[in-house]
Amino acid sequence: MNWLDKLQQIDRRVIYTLLLVVLLIPMFRPLGIPLEVNMTTQKVYDLVQALDPARDVALFVMDYSPGGSPDVHPQALIVAEHLAQRGVRTIMVSFVDAGPMFAEQVLDHVSKKYDIVYGTDFVNLGYLAGMETAIKNFAEAPHTAFERDFRNNPVASMPIMAGITHITDIAFIIDFQTGDPGYNAFLKQVQGPYGVTYAAGIVTVSVPNAMPFVQSGQISGLLQGLRGAAEYEVLVGSPGAGAAKMDAQSLGHLLIIGFIIVGNVAYFLNKKKAV
Amino acid sequence: MRREVPLVITFVIGVLLIASYFLQGPILGGEYTWKTLSSDITNWGVLVSAFAVGIAAVNLTRIHGNKITNQRPGFINSIALIGTMVIFIAVGVFNKHFGTAGTRALFQNMFDYILSPLGAAMFAIIAFYVASASYRAFRARSAEATMLLIAAIIMMMASAPIGALIWSKFPVIGKWLLDVVNMAGQRGIRLGVAIGGFAASMRILLGIDRGHLGSE
Repeated sequence: MNWLDKLQQIDRRVIYTLLLVVLLIPMFRPLGIPLEVNMTTQKVYDLVQALDPARDVALFVMDYSPGGSPDVHPQALIVAEHLAQRGVRTIMVSFVDAGPMFAEQVLDHVSKKYDIVYGTDFVNLGYLAGMETAIKNFAEAPHTAFERDFRNNPVASMPIMAGITHITDIAFIIDFQTGDPGYNAFLKQVQGPYGVTYAAGIVTVSVPNAMPFVQSGQISGLLQGLRGAAEYEVLVGSPGAGAAKMDAQSLGHLLIIGFIIVGNVAYFLNKKKAV
Repeated sequence: MRREVPLVITFVIGVLLIASYFLQGPILGGEYTWKTLSSDITNWGVLVSAFAVGIAAVNLTRIHGNKITNQRPGFINSIALIGTMVIFIAVGVFNKHFGTAGTRALFQNMFDYILSPLGAAMFAIIAFYVASASYRAFRARSAEATMLLIAAIIMMMASAPIGALIWSKFPVIGKWLLDVVNMAGQRGIRLGVAIGGFAASMRILLGIDRGHLGSE
């Protein structure tokens, strides 16, 4: 095997090791690569900024699984922080079983930074089984969909639920998701029929699928994977989990592109040699 | 009867839900409204789904229980699965009904320090597979493969902050690929799926398509 063949068949363990090294370096020594804010992230930020804390209630949908959480959880943390910073009352609900536990993590994060009162400023309603059917059920009667919240408190007597009898009483929905149910279900059951302002935070791989709905205006704002979280952190002025990992992503992408180029150059030189 | 009854239920529920989307006010002049009807049906749906979760747990126990009993290859994994499922259910149910601050912390910690990191680790491993697979698969062997290769490199550079530092046009071209080229394809697929979905729904409602009822 000549060196050109070898360059086309680099052992996967070499690739894994180099990638690990490249991902670890910025975790310990951040490079501070500047980040340009995407328009779809800016729109989510603007929507939260436009909410009136005295009147508006936001619905914070926690529909992600542990598998996709590295991409979406940092988004949820920073948007919740922004909502708490602005004093917007926020109802958290999940249509995915892991959602309520992630909501508790978000509440824990936010309560360390802001003086929020559970049941008045924030509430974690818990998980409602039934996927798209459950979303429709919740939309039609949010006040009766849960008798008790995730912490076993009666929902009806909570100040945050006062006046919330239909999804149209919610000013803004932000839906963090990794799959089903996701924006498709919300667009069909909530945004379409009732016209409630809807934004989403999704994993990077789902972005191309969601773009037609962003362009049509049905999804009013979109956080695109980990980068979306990092951009939002820049906007809020609170660098966190997202920003810290963007340098690692940059170097990881560069390494993959480097390997692709090496493989292709070796392929063409080999082909030329053979002719 | 085993097939006819589910077909009738599917048809009636489907038609009522479609009607409740378009109609408002009382049904036949009574106190019961279309909105209440829709709400009641979706309530049943939520209840059925909750039962389905229970059935799934029973099914999982049965399948992996058999595997453990017969000591089939990989039965150790089945023991781990059943064990963790039982522990999670036990702690979760106890916490829900007799919960104290301690049990709540235990349940949350089990999620935070076991399930969540394991899920995140699985997600992270994909990066290594993707790196290795893209190095092997992205070869400019044909015009189509070259286009895919160039688009992939541009999108990788556009989505990582370092791309804009290397060449300021990477984000611009990446956005164009996403907003124009991708959008055109996605719209076509979406429209096709929507029409197909509507046709499939009608076939199920009318009892032409009976795949969901299982084999005879």
